[in-house]
Amino acid sequence: MLSLGALSFAAPWALAALATLPVIWWLLRLTPPAPQRVLFPPIRLLLNLASRQESTVKSPLWLLILRLVLAGLVILAAAHPLFNAATALRGGGPLVLFIDDGWAAGREWASRETTIGSLLDQAERQDRQVLFVTTAPLASEAGDAARPVGPMSPAEARLQLRGLQPKPWPGDHATAVARLQEAFQLADLSTAQVAWLSDGLDDGTAQATADALGRVGSVTLYSDAPTAVAHVLRPPVADGAALRISVTRASGEGIENGAVLAYGEDGTVLGRQGATFAAGERTAQARFLLPAEVRNRLTRLQIENEETAAAVVLIDERWRRRPVGLVSAQGTLAEQPLLGDLFYLERALAPFTEIRKGSVDTLLERQLAVIVLADPGVLADAERKRMETWIAKGGMAVRFAGPRLAQDVDGLLPVRLRPGDRILEGALAWGRPATLAAIDETSPLHGIRSTGNIRFRRQVLAEPSIDLAAKTWARLSDGTPLVTAERRGEGWLILVHTTANTEWSDLALSGVFVEMLRKFVNLSQGIGGTEGSVPLPPMQSLDGFGRIGAPPAAALPVIANELERTPVGPRHPPGYYGEQEARRALNLSQGLADPQLLPPLDSTVTAESYGTAHETDARPWLLLAALILAVVDLIASLGLRRLLYVSRPAVLALLLLPFAAPDAPAQSQAQTGDAFAMMASLTTRLAYVLTGDSQVDDVSQQGLRGLGVIVNRRTAAEMGEPVGISPERDELSFFPLIYWPMTDGQQKLSAVAADRINAYMRNGGTVLFDTRDGDGGEHSDVLRRVGEDLDLPPLVALPEDHVLGRAYYLLRDFPGRYTGGPVWVERTGERINDGVSSVIVGSSDWAAAWAMNDAQQPLFAVVPGGERQREFAYRVGINMIMYTLTGNYKADQVHLPAIINRLGE
Amino acid sequence: MSEPSTPLRLRAEAAAAELPPLLVAAERVASMVSQGVHGRRRVGQGETFWQFRRYQPGDSSQRIDWRQSAKSVPVYVRETEWEAAQSVWLWRDTSPSMHFTGGRDRPEKAERADLLLLALASLLVRGGEHVALLGSGLPPSGGRGAMNRLAALVEDRSASTPSLPPVEPLPRYARVVMFSDFLSPPEDIRRAVEGLAGRGLRGHLVQVMDPIEEALPFDGRVHFQGLEQEGDIIIGRVEAIRPEYQALLAAHREALKEMTRAVGWTFAVHRTDQPPQAALLALFVTMSMSARA
Repeated sequence: MLSLGALSFAAPWALAALATLPVIWWLLRLTPPAPQRVLFPPIRLLLNLASRQESTVKSPLWLLILRLVLAGLVILAAAHPLFNAATALRGGGPLVLFIDDGWAAGREWASRETTIGSLLDQAERQDRQVLFVTTAPLASEAGDAARPVGPMSPAEARLQLRGLQPKPWPGDHATAVARLQEAFQLADLSTAQVAWLSDGLDDGTAQATADALGRVGSVTLYSDAPTAVAHVLRPPVADGAALRISVTRASGEGIENGAVLAYGEDGTVLGRQGATFAAGERTAQARFLLPAEVRNRLTRLQIENEETAAAVVLIDERWRRRPVGLVSAQGTLAEQPLLGDLFYLERALAPFTEIRKGSVDTLLERQLAVIVLADPGVLADAERKRMETWIAKGGMAVRFAGPRLAQDVDGLLPVRLRPGDRILEGALAWGRPATLAAIDETSPLHGIRSTGNIRFRRQVLAEPSIDLAAKTWARLSDGTPLVTAERRGEGWLILVHTTANTEWSDLALSGVFVEMLRKFVNLSQGIGGTEGSVPLPPMQSLDGFGRIGAPPAAALPVIANELERTPVGPRHPPGYYGEQEARRALNLSQGLADPQLLPPLDSTVTAESYGTAHETDARPWLLLAALILAVVDLIASLGLRRLLYVSRPAVLALLLLPFAAPDAPAQSQAQTGDAFAMMASLTTRLAYVLTGDSQVDDVSQQGLRGLGVIVNRRTAAEMGEPVGISPERDELSFFPLIYWPMTDGQQKLSAVAADRINAYMRNGGTVLFDTRDGDGGEHSDVLRRVGEDLDLPPLVALPEDHVLGRAYYLLRDFPGRYTGGPVWVERTGERINDGVSSVIVGSSDWAAAWAMNDAQQPLFAVVPGGERQREFAYRVGINMIMYTLTGNYKADQVHLPAIINRLGE
Repeated sequence: MSEPSTPLRLRAEAAAAELPPLLVAAERVASMVSQGVHGRRRVGQGETFWQFRRYQPGDSSQRIDWRQSAKSVPVYVRETEWEAAQSVWLWRDTSPSMHFTGGRDRPEKAERADLLLLALASLLVRGGEHVALLGSGLPPSGGRGAMNRLAALVEDRSASTPSLPPVEPLPRYARVVMFSDFLSPPEDIRRAVEGLAGRGLRGHLVQVMDPIEEALPFDGRVHFQGLEQEGDIIIGRVEAIRPEYQALLAAHREALKEMTRAVGWTFAVHRTDQPPQAALLALFVTMSMSARA
C-alpha cells in the first residue's frame, strides 16, 4: 500500500501504467479520426481530380487531451485509491476479532460495525484469515456461551458478522477468552493480531482478559470515549405518589445532563424528567410526579437518546396499576343504581384505579392492591382467613359500615364495634346530624379539607379502648370515629363507620369521599400477596437496543417468586413475562452492578478509539468519471464524423419530459374524480362492489339494472344505470344502496376502504351483503372476515313487522334466486339514521334473480322456481330501494290501526 | 386502370395549372399518324364540323346526318376537319444517382424529375398533344386517360432505368424531353442524343441537380462514395479542391450545351432548391419558341 497523506493506493503497481501515457499520446496522434462519409453522385468528377490532396490529418488537440485524461483515470482507478485508509494490520497470522456484544455495546453499535467493516477490509487486502468471538453468551445446547467462529476468509466473516447485534445481557469475558484459546490451539495457530472491540466497561476481569488475549497475539483495544459509555437506569422506587429513579454512569468526571422519558403503552411520551450528574457523582436522581391516571398508563422508562437494554426499565403492575376489588352483597346491576352500594365507589375509584368486582374468593385469585367491602354481610370463616393472610402480606382492606355490619359484627375489623348502629337524626332522636371534624396532623388522611355540609345521619360506634384514638384517622364533630384503621402485618385494615352510599350519610356525595379513597389507594403497597412458584412464560423481550419485541426462541419461563433474583441472560432475556392481564417485568438493570470504566491496561495493549474518520474508496468515482468522459468522447467522435443529428425540439422534449410527465396522471385523476361525482350524483344510482370476479360483477351489474327497470316501471323512483365501485378507490356517499356480493376471492379490506365503508354506513348509507349461497354457508366465513374489518352494528333476524317488509309491497319472506334464507338487519332503534338499517345481510343471491338481458328476459333460473318467486324477488328489491330512499315513514303505519281506532271512538 | 390520385400527380397538376395549356405548334402538316390536334384545313378525322356533303354510294350509312337530311330531299353526310396531334416523348432518369438529396428540406432529384415530367405532361395533354413515356413501349396518347397511365408508369419505382435513354425507333418529327442529372461521361450522352436527333427528332435536356452537387460544401477529410459503383475516394482537404471541382462541373455542362446546340436541341439546368415552376416555365418558353422557329 502506498500512502500520500490522506490518499493511499491499495494497488500501487497499477500506477506504473501511467508511464504508457506518452505512448498513447503518440498513437492517438498517429491515428487520424475516421473521415466523414458522404454519398456523392458526381463522384466521377472528383475521381478525375488528382488525389494529391490526400494528406495525414491529426486528431484535434482537445480530443487528444480528453482521451489521455480518460486513460489516466482508468489507470488511477486500477490503482484503487483510498482516502483516509485505515492503517494496515500489523504482524502476521490471522486477525482475531474479540467483540464485546453485551448490553453496553448497544449505545454506539454503529461505530462498532464501521470498525469491524474496516478491519475486515484490511484483512481482505492483506489476505489474512479471520477468527471472531463474541463475549455475550448465546443460548446453545452445550451451555450458554459464545463460541469462536473461524478461521475463515474475510468475505465469509463479513457475511457472518452482518447479522451481529448487541445482546440485552452482560458479556462474559473469562469464558470467551478461554474458548478462544481452545480454538486457537485446535486450529494450530501460533500468533495472531487481536482486535478487542470493547464496550468500555470493566466487569472486573479486564486486566485478566487483556493478559489472556496477549498470549494469543498482539492486542489492540478499541474503546469509546468515557462520555459515550452506556448508562444504567435503575428500576424506580415508589416514593409516595411519585416515582424515584436513579441513573448510574461509569465515569465520575464532569457534569452530564440527561433526561428520562416515560412512555405509555402506545409509545406516547407521558413525561420527561431531567437527570443531571453532578461533577464527581456517578448517580443522578430523577423524580417523576405523575398524576395517578397518567402513572397508571406508564409502561416504560428510558434514558433519552440512549438505546441499550439497561437504559430501559419496563414497568409492570408493581409500580403501575392499583387494582381495587369491590365486594358487595348486591349485584352490580342493581335495580336502582343510585342506591347501590358500589355505585359511588365505582365512580370515585374508576379514574385512577382498575376496578374489579366479585366475591372475595374470586378477587383474591388475582393480584389486588386494595379490596373494598361495601357491607357485604358476614364473611365466611374461610373467606376471612384468606383476607387476613392477604392483609398480612401487604394487602389493604377497606370496609364500609352498613345495616348488615351493624347487625352481625365479625372479627375482621380494626376496632371492636358496639352491636347495632347509632342514629343521629330521626323522629326519635334528639341530636342533629354530625359533620366531619378537622383531621389530625398525625392522621394519614391529613390534608383532606373537611367541609361542614356533609351530614352523617347514622354510624356504627367503636367500643372505647386504649388504642382507639391511635387507630382513628378521622372523626365526626362529636368526636366519634369515622375512619379507623389497624396495621396488620404488612397491610392495613380500614373501617369507615358509615355507608358507601347515601343511606347513612352524605359522605358519598362529597369530594371528601374521593380524596379519602385516593389516599387509601396511595397508601396501599400496590400489588399485595404473592404469586407463588408459578412459571411465567416469556411474553415480550427487549433486544440489545432496548426495543421490545417477540421473545427469542431460547427464552424460558421465569418462576414468579424468583423473578427478582433471576439473572438476565440468554435464557431469561429482559422483558415481560406472564400474561397480558398480569405481566411481570424482568429488567436488566435490576441485577447489574454499577458500571466501571476500563482501567488503564498495561503497555502491551495498543489503545485505539472507535474510528471517526471513514475510509473513502475513490475507485467507483474515478470509474464513473472515466465512463462520463468515454460518453463525451463518443459524442465528440460521432460529431466529428457528422453522424450525429440531434434536432433541437427532440432535445427540448427530452429535457422537459421528466417535468411534464407526473402532472398528466394527476390531472386526469382529478378529472375522473369530478366526472365520477357528476356521474354518480346527477341520477340516483345503485352501486355494487366490484369483487374482481368478472362473472359475479356482471351478474351484479345486470341484476341491479334489471331491478332498476322494474323500479322505473312500477314506482316514482327513477333509477339510473348501476355503477360498479371499489371502496378502495371511489367515494361512496352518492349511493343510497350498495350491493356487495361475497366471493371466495374477497381480499382483506385496507384501512382506507374500511374507513370509507364505516363512514358510509354511519352517515346513512345501506350496504346489502349477499353471501349468494342460499343459506349454504359457503361464504359466511368471507362475510365474517369482511365484518371483522368493519364497524358493524349488532344484527337481528328480520322482525316480522320490520319496515323492510312493508316499505312498498307487503312481504312476508324475502326470496332471491333462492328462498328461505334468513335476512339480518340492524336492531331497530340502534341508530339514528331515520331507523334505516345500515346493513342488510342475506344469502338469497338477489342480483341473480333480478338479472335480465337487454331484451328484459331473466338470465338465471330461480330455485325452486316459478314466476311467482321472481316476482317476489323484484318486490324484495323494490322494497329495499324504497326502504333506503324513504326511510322509516312506513313504520308509522304500524300504529295505523290504533290511530283509526282512536278516531272511531 | 384505377384512378391514380396520388400526391405526386396532384402536385404536378398544381404546378402545371399556373401555365397556359402548352400548344406545341405543328411543324409538319404531313400525313402522319400521330400529330398534335391542329386543324389541317381539310376533311379528315377530327372533332370539329367541316362540311356536309351529299351521300354517295359507298359511304357508311352510319355517317348519314339524319337531322340535316330531314330538312331536304338529298341525304347528307357530315364531314369533320382533319385534326392531327403532335406527339411528345418524355423520359426521366431513375438510376440510383438520382435518388439523392443533399438536405432534409429538399426532395430527391428523382422526385423532382418525376414532378417536372408529370407537370409537363399535364400541360401537354391539356393542350391536346399526345404524350408517351420513352422506354415504356406504349404509343403516345392524349386525354385524361393518358395522364392517368403516365402517372402510374412514373410512380412505379420498381423499374430502374439506365442513366441514359434507350435508342428507340421513334416516329419522325416527334419531340423528346429528358430529365436527368446527366453526370455520365459526355460521350455517352452524345451517343444517346445523336441517336435520337439523327431520326429528325427535336429534344430538350433538363439537368436536375442538388445544390450541394454544385457547391461541394464540405470541409476537411471526407470519404466520398458514388451511388452507382463508380468507386470511392478520400479527399484530405475538400476545401482545397472546391474551385477545381466547380470548374470541372462547369466544363461538363458547357460540353453538354455545345453538343445539344449542334443537333438543334436545348439544354437547361434545374436545381432542386428552386421551385419546379421556374423550370417548367423555362421549358414551356423553350418548347413554344422552338416550335415557332
